[in-house]
Amino acid sequence: MELEALQGIISEVRALGAQIVVLTPELERYTRALHKKLNLTFDMLTDLHLKTAEQFRLVFTLPDYLRDLYKSFGNALDRLHDEPEYRLPIPARYVVDKQGIIRAADVNADYTIRLEPSETLRQLRMLTGSLAALSLRA
Amino acid sequence: MARLQSRLDEFKKAFKSGAPPYNAEHEAIEKMHRATAELKSSGIEQQALKIGDCAPRFTLFNQDHVQVSSSDLLRQGPLVISFFRGHW
Repeated sequence: MELEALQGIISEVRALGAQIVVLTPELERYTRALHKKLNLTFDMLTDLHLKTAEQFRLVFTLPDYLRDLYKSFGNALDRLHDEPEYRLPIPARYVVDKQGIIRAADVNADYTIRLEPSETLRQLRMLTGSLAALSLRA
Repeated sequence: MARLQSRLDEFKKAFKSGAPPYNAEHEAIEKMHRATAELKSSGIEQQALKIGDCAPRFTLFNQDHVQVSSSDLLRQGPLVISFFRGHW
């Protein structure tokens, strides 16, 4: 649902000179299928073995009881993510400025709660607006 | 399009009801709630990078097996980075 919602704001995001990327531990063969199915126009990047998510300090290990439950649903992370330890990133959305500094961060351990994309758009507008104001003053 | 969170809430309600199409078992729902509560109290949200931190750079393969680097993207403008656990 979040991917479709992000797709819904992509043209406005690009109009602000910004880009969206989605990082997922899923292997490329799965991102390719999903990307096509949802007609996404931003990139889905495979964060193999959660290397980047680790650097953002978002990684946790599923408890044993949940691992077994996921396996019973057919969500085998060892197969889908090459992730035999059953680690996952908590959902997070960041807005990073051109200098590489995080200017907005929405991190929630409850995976059923997500920030509205309209809010991300507002953050980007503030960011690009404030940058324009700075360059005028300079 | 309805707000993202209201659509998520709708899904959650349907899943928790135990009714079709998900037919979630009560025990399974309990386990998922317990795991989310434990994760919340683990302090992981506080450990995660936050506003003002320098975003780690990355170069990763996209869905078409093309390498994409965050440095290249940032040269063009701001970047929204969304972490997605998977679509399963």
